[in-house]
This record gives sequence, C-alpha cells and structure tokens, in this order.
Amino acid sequence: MNLTNRFAAPIGSLTAAAVFAVVGAAPARADAPLTVVYQGQSIRFSHIDSKGGAPAIGVNDPGFATLLRSTSSLLTWKPGERYVLITTSVPTVVSFAIGDRRYDIGPIVLQAAFAPYQRGSEAFLPLNEVLRGLDLALRDDGATKVLQPQLASLEVRTLRDRVTLLAHGGAPLRPRVIAQSSSSVTYAFDGVGTALIGTRQINAGGVRSVQVTVSGTVRAPVTTVIVALQPGASARPPQNNGERDVVLAVSAARASPQSLAEESPTPEPEPSGANNAGNASDANATANGPATVTSVTSQASDAGVTVTVAVNGNASFAWHRLRDPDNRFWIDVKNAQLQGPPIDQASASPVISMRARQIDATTVRIALTLGQPNTITVTPSSNGLQIQVGNDAVSDDAARSGSGTIGSVVSSGEQNPVPVTPAPADNAPSDAGTSDGGWKFGPRSSYVPTNPRLIVIDPGHGGSDSGSEHGSLKEADLALDMAKRLRDILVARGWQVKLTRETDVDVYAPNDSPHDELQARVDVANKAGARLFVSIHANAFINSGPYGTTCYISKPEDVPLARNVEAQLAQDGTKDDGVVKSHLYVTYHTRMPAVLVETAFLTNPSDYALLASAAWRQKVAQEIADGIGQYTRAYPVSNQAGQ
Amino acid sequence: MRSPRFPLLVALLVVVAAAYWYFHSQRAPNGETIAVYHTKLDGTSLGSMRVSMRPRAPGESAAEHRHNQVLYAAVEAVTGPPSDVNAIRFPPGTHVRSVAIDGSTATVDLSKEVETQTGGSFGENGEFKALVYTVTSLPGIDAVQVTVDGSRLETLPGGHLELDQPLRRSDW
Repeated sequence: MNLTNRFAAPIGSLTAAAVFAVVGAAPARADAPLTVVYQGQSIRFSHIDSKGGAPAIGVNDPGFATLLRSTSSLLTWKPGERYVLITTSVPTVVSFAIGDRRYDIGPIVLQAAFAPYQRGSEAFLPLNEVLRGLDLALRDDGATKVLQPQLASLEVRTLRDRVTLLAHGGAPLRPRVIAQSSSSVTYAFDGVGTALIGTRQINAGGVRSVQVTVSGTVRAPVTTVIVALQPGASARPPQNNGERDVVLAVSAARASPQSLAEESPTPEPEPSGANNAGNASDANATANGPATVTSVTSQASDAGVTVTVAVNGNASFAWHRLRDPDNRFWIDVKNAQLQGPPIDQASASPVISMRARQIDATTVRIALTLGQPNTITVTPSSNGLQIQVGNDAVSDDAARSGSGTIGSVVSSGEQNPVPVTPAPADNAPSDAGTSDGGWKFGPRSSYVPTNPRLIVIDPGHGGSDSGSEHGSLKEADLALDMAKRLRDILVARGWQVKLTRETDVDVYAPNDSPHDELQARVDVANKAGARLFVSIHANAFINSGPYGTTCYISKPEDVPLARNVEAQLAQDGTKDDGVVKSHLYVTYHTRMPAVLVETAFLTNPSDYALLASAAWRQKVAQEIADGIGQYTRAYPVSNQAGQ
Repeated sequence: MRSPRFPLLVALLVVVAAAYWYFHSQRAPNGETIAVYHTKLDGTSLGSMRVSMRPRAPGESAAEHRHNQVLYAAVEAVTGPPSDVNAIRFPPGTHVRSVAIDGSTATVDLSKEVETQTGGSFGENGEFKALVYTVTSLPGIDAVQVTVDGSRLETLPGGHLELDQPLRRSDW
C-alpha cells in the first residue's frame, strides 16, 4: 500500500499580499518596474501590469526571461496562441490559457487570481501563480523584494515498514542532519523557505510525526524538518546530490531476524545451462532470468473460453478469485515482464473481459471478469499456462486461490511466498495501449531469398559514426568484433556470410546522412537477396541503470527469427529484455527476416564488463548463431515467406 | 396595474443569474483527461499520468482547439514525468517548437537538443513511443510526424529509428 500525504502549499496568498503593497500605490494600473533579488542576483521586471490588484508579468519581459533561464525553465507561446506553457525543471508543465483563469501544474488544476490576457503581441500572466509554478515566493526584506526558493512540498510515502519523505524544492536541496538521537532526527535545508509550517502526525513506518519550521533571514532562510521516530526506528543519511528532489528515508524497527532473512533469500541452485555472471546489484533476478509473457490470447469453444498465456522463461504464479456476485479472477505471473502493450479486450461468454498488464516491475497480472461464477481451471506447462473457464457453476467449497510454477525451476523468491492481498483485480489506473491487444503488423511480404544460403550481418555504426562510446569502448568496434565472430561460426556451419562492413568505415560514405548510411546497409542485404539480416549493436542510456539484451524487430516475419535468437541470448549473462517491436530503419526496410540485437549497455558497469570481455563477445556470437540455426531448421526457406 | 413586486422579482433574477455566472466561472472546469505516457526503464512498458484537458473556449474554433490540445499533449509528453519517476527521457533541453495537424496526423516539431542522443536504440525507442502514445490518445489523431528544427529527418544522427514517415502506435 502506498499512502500519499502532500502538505498543502498556500504560497499564493502571502505573495499576493506582499506584491499588492508595492503596486497598490497606483490603483488603476501599475506599470512600475519591480526589482527582485533572486539567489543573490538582482532581476528587474519591467513588463509589469496589474489586474484587480494582483500583479501580471509580460512574457517578453527580459527579467522574466532571466528568471526562467536561472530556474532552467522554458516558456512556449506565440502571439495569437491560446496556451502559454512553462516547462519547469521538476520537470512539470505549468499551463496557462489566454482568457481562462484556470491554470494547471501537471495534473493539478488550479484557479488563478485573474485570466492571462494578450496586449499587443505580448501575453501577460498572473505573476504569483507563475512563481508558485516555479516553487518560488516573493518575500519582503525591508524595502527589497526577495524571490525565495521554497520547500514546496514534502510528500510522505508510507510503505509497510518504512516511510520516505520526498522533499521538493524551488532550488537544489542540500539537507544537513543537524541533530540526531534515538527519538528524532533533524534536517536543515539551507536557502529555502516554506509555507509548510506545522506538525503532521504520521504514526507509521517508524515515524511518529514531522514538524516543519523556518528560521534565518528572508535572504538566507533555513527550513528545518524534525522527524520524530518511533522506538527502534532508524533514519538513513539523506541524499545530498544537489537535486531539487531529495528523499529522507526512515525504516521501522526490525520485527525479528526472520524478516531480515526474507529480504535476502538464498538463491536456489542454478538451472542447468544458466549463467549468473550478471549484474551484481540484481543478482537474484538475473540468476532466475526474468520471464517474458509473450502473448495472452483467448479462444471460445463449446466448453467455454480458454485463455492461453505464453511465457518464455521460468516464473511462478498465484491466482485468486472473488465470490459471486463479484466474479473476478486474476492470476499474477511473478518475475515476469509483459511483452508489448497492456491488453484490455472484451471476450466471448462466459468471460466478459480480459486484461493483462504489468502491475509492478516484476509482476504481470491477467484479470478476467466473468458473467457468472463459472469453474476455472489453471494448467501450467513449460511454456506458459492455460486458464480454462467452463460453462458450469463453481462449487461453494472450491479453492479461491492457488499458485504454481511455469517452466523448469522454482524461483528462489517464492520459498516464502508473500501472501497476495485479495485486492480487486482491477484497482490500478488503466495503462497504456488498452485498445492494442499485442503487436500489430502490416501485411506480410512474399519475399523469397534469391540467395538462400546467404546471411548478411551488419555491424552497427563505423567510420565517421562510432556509435556510443564509454570508457575505452566504442560501439562500432564492439559490433564489428562480434559480427566477425558470428561470421566465423556461421561460415564454419556452411553458411555464406556478407558483412556490411569489414573494417571501421562508413558503409555509404564518411559523414553521410544517417539515412544514406542505413539505406546502404539495407541495400547490401536486399540486393544480394539474402536469407536473413542480423544487425549487431551495443546499447547506451543517459544513466547507468538500464542493462540487458534486447532484440528489436519491425516486420511480422522478423518475429520467429528474433524469438529464436533471443531464446539463446537469454543465457548470455545479462538480463533478457526480450523482443521489442519498433520502427528501426534497418529492420523495417530489409525485405528478409531481420533482427537488430542490442547486445548489452555500454553505460551499465556490469554490462560494460561483459562487453569488454572477448570471451563474452564470443559467447554472444555463438548464441546468435545457435538462434539462427534453430530458426532456419524450424522455418526452411519454402516456409519462410509464410511464417 | 402591475404588481409592485415585479421589479423586485427582476432584480432577484438578475442576482441569481449573476451568482450562477460567478460561481460557474470560479469553478475549474473539469474537462476530459488524457494519459501522458512515459516509457519505463525496462525499455518497453508504459506508465502514465493523467492530465486534464481544457474544454473548448468561446471563440475558439474546433481546429484551434484541436491544435491546442495536440500542443499541450506533446509538451507534456516531451517534458516527461517528475524526476522521481524512473522513465526514459528526451535529452535535456529538448522541447516542442510547434505542432501542426493534417487530417489525422499531428506533426510535432522538436528542438535540436533531441539530436544529442546517447546512441542506443533504447532511448530513442522509449522516447518516441511515449510521445506517439500520448499524442495519439487524443481523439482523431492516429499518427505523429516528427520534425527537428522545422525539417523532416530520416533518422536522428547516428540513430536507429526511422523518422521520415509518421509514427503510429502500431509501430510498437
């Protein structure tokens, strides 16, 4: 359960009073410039207007531009347009509309003192509301006006045995612990004021209460947050990385040594063939290899409705049903990822609707709503499970819940299964793509390879485009290395192989356009009439979090190839992120079955170590070759076009 | 002879009408909401936050209203969720320069910063999936043509995703 309790931030009223004192001298309209001090710099607002006593700021005001720049915010508006949108550094969108008093801060709808208006070619916005959106407040320091960053919210999140306080400020927050005892911890936030003054009782997750006070001066305020702890609770040192959001975390007292043991279960022995050289921080998940729910389909027959859940990998499941008249049934597939968008579709009788979605990072929930309390049989298998909904009524003493495993190994996390709360099957907000019940493709091509023994391997990037670079590794080099290893294996197995590039060069021309470059790679395969196209890459992201192997596809005929390659790569030692459909140029425009393998993330330390290892690159090449072998045996050329 | 109460009734009606108008204008109109999607760090699944759309204003034509809704949805999608939500995000500084609508295709013009990608399919795929899902959650919009700084690109530099034709939900 996640209880959220956000302190209200009534900043606007105070600011309005302060500014009214300044502009009040000119009752009809006050165009007098307003000079404020923000973070030590003086900013002069010259396009100041007033409406009903409240100040308005013109969007072309140079001082306003300075303020937006200083707060890493951006304003989107053109003369004649109705919407004036400010993107803040939170990030969130503060939206105003000409002629409408309503303004929105992200999902929150608020009412401004007056409606924004356009005069000449300039829009004027209510200043106090703009400042509130930027988490700032206008304060008097004698005769000087100070724009004071605010501790704008302190969100209390209660999660079973712990509480996190998410502090959000109008400036980077650097909390200091200024006092700590067994009964309380006191944090000081320098440089921010707040309107959140007061005490809140929490009485959960180790926290008794949270008290907020402000001291210091208008220009150098200090907001103090005193967290009173329950007996035995402990506070973790705060993050202090200069972000505008910081987390203060408190854990309740440990109930017993057993609860510790439950948090770090001993992993089960490895399933045969699996390799756990994966990410150390997520060793458990890696060792068990997250499963993928690849499809959820239903079929009606005289005997009722059969829902088939295809699962690739090992997973456990738990099912629950509610009592008549609430005839809902759901099954949670744990340690699993849902492939493709969530599913929400009507079903044939006796099932009314079927939904499938990812309810948390590792759980896929398939929920059925029945018209009547019919029998339901759950049958697991090595590659998924079947849910049979019969036409007969279920007996009163039939089981209301159950669990089991899919695949060949019991997940270690399930030795002490967490009781599943019999929550309504459908209590979370509806998620993406509800109308899309899986991948949709255009028509299949009728491609027949003129060169059925030829496989084209495309080492990504090269020459003037080195791809991602991290540490001493370049994506272009890694891709070429793996491509050559793959070529050698395939050639030894009797395939003809053509690489789109054999050295570190551009395939089309140096410094060519991305389109020419990618089309040149596609041309190599299309012109040669190749059987298959395999592009090899290394992934990257702006932070080190994501890791794993992903097989990207675009066409329907890519699916079986990618599934076979992915099934082999699932053992490559990093996470299997499955097959992902996207509109990538090379998979989209090649005429033959194609897959783009993003082998691992250069930006993740443990993936980086794998990519740096020649032995691992050889292993990846071997697994891709094995996947190609499995695919070509299962789909001979005569069947390829139809698959 | 007229009832002496007639002017009083008229005055009362005026007061009631004024009060109705006043309270009505005070109330934040509770219009339709749409889902603003973000792609989670698994690279494929979508999370969402619902934002409230403004109803059509007096004097705002149907075409203008549609344009404004697309603009708002695109700006929300490119902005992404608050920083405490783990999501694949557009490169810092990327913003919506303008939008245009032609039939059921919305053109979203992004700023140059979108070209400062880190290089993998992961980011590109996640960013544009969220943008396309968000904008196509508006009724009547089923495709998004991305342009960068006013020009149509085939792909991003060093990129993977094809951008020279409109993207649809069915691309994912």
